[in-house]
Amino acid sequence: MTADAALPFALLSLLLWLPLGGALLCLLFRHSGNLCRWISLATTLAVLGLALWAALAAPDASGWRFYEDAAWIEPFGIRYTLGMDGISLLLVLLTALLQVVAILISWGQKQHPALFYALILIMETGIIGVFLALDLILFYLFWELMLIPMFFLIGVWGHESRVYAAVKFFFFTLAGSLCLLLSIISLYLLHGSQTGDYSFALDALRQTTLEPATEMLLYAGFMIAFVVKVPLFPFHTWLPDAHTEAPPAGSVDLAGLLLKTGVYGMLRFAFPLFPAAAQRSLPLLAGLALVGIFYAAWIAYVQTDIKRVIAYSSVAHLGFVILGLAAWNQLAWEGSLLLMVNHGITTGALFVMIAMISERSGTRQLSQLGGLWSVFPNLSAFFLLFCLASLGLPGLANFSGEILVLFGVFKVRPLWGGLAVAGVVFSAAYMLRVVQSALWGETRQLERNDDIGCREWLILVPLALLVVLLGVYPAPALEILREPIRLLLATRGMP
Amino acid sequence: MNPLLLFLIPALPLLGGVFNVCFGSRLSPRIVAAVAVAAVAGSCSLTVALWSLGAGEGTRTLLFSWLESGGLRADVGLLFDPLATIMSLMVTGVATLIHIYAAGYMQHDRNPARFFALLNLFVFAMLCIVLADNLLFLFLGWEGVGFCSYGLIGFWYRKTANADAGRKAFIVTRIGDLFLAIALLWLFRLFGTVAIDQINGRAAELDPQLLTVLVLLLLGGACGKSAQLPLMTWLPDAMAGPTPVSALIHAATMVTAGVYLLCRMFPLVSLSPTGMAAIALVGAATALYAASCAVAQREIKRVLAYSTMSQIGYMFLAVGVGTVSGAMFHLLTHAFFKALLFMGAGCVIHLAGDENDIYRMGGLKRKAPRIFWLFLIGILCLAGAPLTGGFFSKDAILLSAFARGDGLSALLWGAGVLTAGLTSFYSFRLLYLVFFGAERQTEKGHALSPLMSWTLPPLALAGLLGGLLNLPHLFGGHQWLSHWLGETAAELALPLASELGLLLLMLIFFGGGWLIAHLRYRNFPGEERAGWRSFLLGGWHFDSLYEWLLLRPYRSLCRFCWQGGDKALIDGMVEGLGRLWMDWGGYVRRLSTGQITFYLQGFAWGVLLMLGWFLLMAVK
Amino acid sequence: MIVPLEHILFLSAILFVLGLACVLARRNLIMILIGVEIMLNAVGLTLVGASAFWQQIDGQIMVIFLMAMTSAEVSISLAMVVYLNRRKGTVDVRAFDEMRG
Repeated sequence: MTADAALPFALLSLLLWLPLGGALLCLLFRHSGNLCRWISLATTLAVLGLALWAALAAPDASGWRFYEDAAWIEPFGIRYTLGMDGISLLLVLLTALLQVVAILISWGQKQHPALFYALILIMETGIIGVFLALDLILFYLFWELMLIPMFFLIGVWGHESRVYAAVKFFFFTLAGSLCLLLSIISLYLLHGSQTGDYSFALDALRQTTLEPATEMLLYAGFMIAFVVKVPLFPFHTWLPDAHTEAPPAGSVDLAGLLLKTGVYGMLRFAFPLFPAAAQRSLPLLAGLALVGIFYAAWIAYVQTDIKRVIAYSSVAHLGFVILGLAAWNQLAWEGSLLLMVNHGITTGALFVMIAMISERSGTRQLSQLGGLWSVFPNLSAFFLLFCLASLGLPGLANFSGEILVLFGVFKVRPLWGGLAVAGVVFSAAYMLRVVQSALWGETRQLERNDDIGCREWLILVPLALLVVLLGVYPAPALEILREPIRLLLATRGMP
Repeated sequence: MNPLLLFLIPALPLLGGVFNVCFGSRLSPRIVAAVAVAAVAGSCSLTVALWSLGAGEGTRTLLFSWLESGGLRADVGLLFDPLATIMSLMVTGVATLIHIYAAGYMQHDRNPARFFALLNLFVFAMLCIVLADNLLFLFLGWEGVGFCSYGLIGFWYRKTANADAGRKAFIVTRIGDLFLAIALLWLFRLFGTVAIDQINGRAAELDPQLLTVLVLLLLGGACGKSAQLPLMTWLPDAMAGPTPVSALIHAATMVTAGVYLLCRMFPLVSLSPTGMAAIALVGAATALYAASCAVAQREIKRVLAYSTMSQIGYMFLAVGVGTVSGAMFHLLTHAFFKALLFMGAGCVIHLAGDENDIYRMGGLKRKAPRIFWLFLIGILCLAGAPLTGGFFSKDAILLSAFARGDGLSALLWGAGVLTAGLTSFYSFRLLYLVFFGAERQTEKGHALSPLMSWTLPPLALAGLLGGLLNLPHLFGGHQWLSHWLGETAAELALPLASELGLLLLMLIFFGGGWLIAHLRYRNFPGEERAGWRSFLLGGWHFDSLYEWLLLRPYRSLCRFCWQGGDKALIDGMVEGLGRLWMDWGGYVRRLSTGQITFYLQGFAWGVLLMLGWFLLMAVK
Repeated sequence: MIVPLEHILFLSAILFVLGLACVLARRNLIMILIGVEIMLNAVGLTLVGASAFWQQIDGQIMVIFLMAMTSAEVSISLAMVVYLNRRKGTVDVRAFDEMRG
């Protein structure tokens, strides 16, 4: 079972706890902001390196690349089980990459830098934990752990109405999480009473036999937590507020990573645990996803704050992801996961760019921006690239995922697929509106007029390369995803 | 010859474009332009060098697999067959000339790197459409040209109107792309592949009704790109871009991509009579509509834009009546003479001191005789003067339409002939207003760069002699193009007399149009402000119609979703829930008065109640 | 036993209700304290009675505990009353409602 037998150390645990260690170091050296940011940069880079190293390992026959299992709270059957297959690997890679970006983008953090970096690192542990945990209580622990740093990032370092946004974010996600906890515990008790083996292990719980009604109820508990996080229409209204008020690093993490945990949760936990209920819920999921695609695109078109446009565009893109899941076939699922990664990169990059733009122009209002191209040609070129990727230009990142989703969906449900294609037109409408107001026209207000600096090149070039690479040659990513997804679909569950 | 060399044809412009994107801003404009020209010229010469690969069945070649998942396989692969060969030669050839021209046209511009990078990328994307061996890769080019067109129309981005025009072009064509995308998805669902030759080969298996739907979807895609009814409103506005852009993208290449797509999928398209009729109908209607609009336009480039739309209508008509060679023939000759006309128009605009309005031009014949003669050749081709390229190609289409002999075809033929007359009229109107009469421009003109004037003659030659490509038997030709495209049924079953009669009719309409234009516009008639003119000038007010019918409702819908849906309904419910709890809390908090006796009272009453309860239980 | 248990219970119930009424009705802190004392003594009386009735020593031990505890309680609460009086200049219980919601 363990593919990492050759490794002298527990790679997954290292990957998981390294950021937390970095956070503790940051808190230890909190008097020196400069030291802290170097510590956090080094930590995130180390995590990225480890994740890349993990990518080199070949998966074993059951699809796992790495697997760790240890006793933790024996009396309740809670174990410390971590596992990494292709899906986790790709998402961990994305996490590691975006956290480096998040640290770099907040390089000039003035207000409580040590705490800020520590929170970002703690969040990294939480997110990686969600992607690795295979024990439901462990998963829940990390699921909640993500929430708290984000709450403070928004609430303390956010913009004007940060408290409102933070509280809204917290309550939406917490309400979902509690349903999740309730479902987990009920499932645990049911399983225990059936088999006498009280365990929170995913593998064990999948063997539970459930009445259809009970299964639906428990499934609903799981799904509420996940769809709120995704977020699926109509649970999305926390997202624009949270995005708008969050500091740049927070927005990057929120869009790039936190939203992905919801989809991952469905794929890893909700669908395999309750396959029959999942099947029955697919039309509803697809319907909400479709409504979300259009609804969010329409709303994005009339937003005045550039961050809100991108936030709503996230809702629309995640609608595509969920639609792909609802199609329930190899093509669409590979597309969904690829789209998720691509969306993480492009939207992360867009938030980074918005931070750079608003640093220079002092505003995020579309009506006050304009003519940036004539002052910052390089910055604007990158911005245009990411916007184009976001609106789904073929050859750039998002398209490859989106089109796979569409192919997969159209294969089983032509009507859904045909409708979803129409969403693409609307995404062009709002993205071009952003490009138009920001880049073209006469130059409006400006606070600085320096084009991209050294650190910013360092952030943008890798992201841009990735955007092009994932658009032109997504084969390696698809290759990583293929086997795990096949197994998930084959056993109607996990490998 | 190594078939992989074929990849260099699109790759060279791509490399040129990427090079200019990355380093262009640090290099001198000359180098930037030289790189761009060299890239396109290189791919043009490669096309010629690799010509033999395209004969017969053509060559298929594969670089790598772009997307491969669960039964879907889309390669980065090329299909170099006769159709693609001829189209790519035209694209690269015309593009080379226009790049050279642009080097002169843009020599004083501040951003040559962006311009040439986009132009090169455009050629790359266009070649993807032309050469792609599967529909998904074609779609990449399809969207790619859309983006490049967007970037180039709004090239002078400081004027919001330009950027708006670019955005309009992108979004309107994307509505068309939507149909193409659905067709693509559907074809994959049906055949499990997106390869063009396999789809064409297996198209006959399909149910006829389904085929009709698919053809209509393809037609929708083609309409968007080729500015046909009802998705045509973007083309006149697209003239906001620099003139070389209009010449390359909005006359010679991108707008004909729709025609090319239909030709490429012709084995599938031809299986649906209803679909074919729809294509022909759209083509004829657009031809007539656009010609009528061109009659009243004031801006030189808008006249040409409408005439482009109208000529592409002819090409659609050709596809609709089943002659791919006719469509491609007209596509080629049109590319030559329309590029010539646009580039000539660019020269005219320079000479007239950046004046666009033909009512404020005039008398340029004396000032620039050479441009006049070249422009005249273009006009003659457009109007269909006998023995020019445009004459033969247009005639071939109308003959094919006539030869079909059914009622609809006769109607379409009539529309085509009427359009020919209108075309002749507005072409000569343009010529007279610009080159004859007194000088009316106020601005002083600029001198022309030799790069600009010397790229016109080759195109003029190609336009004049374009007829030789597919000279009909009547004139002693061998219909080379039809044979190259492998079209065996090109022989028309028309008696010689009626063929000659039709030719005569065409001549009459050409001459009539010229005569009316000559009589009215030989001397400048003064400003014209009749009501029907403003109707035609505004393109039958389709823009306002769409604004009222689609855009305003769309904006209201968006605003409603935001304010009514998100803010009022969802947030209202969530916040209402919060407020409910707070209200409830506010109500309950009044219970804690802080008075200890009050609490004790509650305590006492509670105990009493419990005691009573237990007593009751005990008694029972 | 000379006095029947019922009488003792009756008496202590009366005492308890009197004490309770005193606690609830009076507004003077000292009077409330006295009320509490009366209630405590009512309970003590019950304990003694019960102890005598069952011939068990436990009840009387409890009463001794109770007395010790009561004296401690009274001393602390009187000290607090003095303190409160010093703070607000009154021993009216209505003045001390800082804990209200």
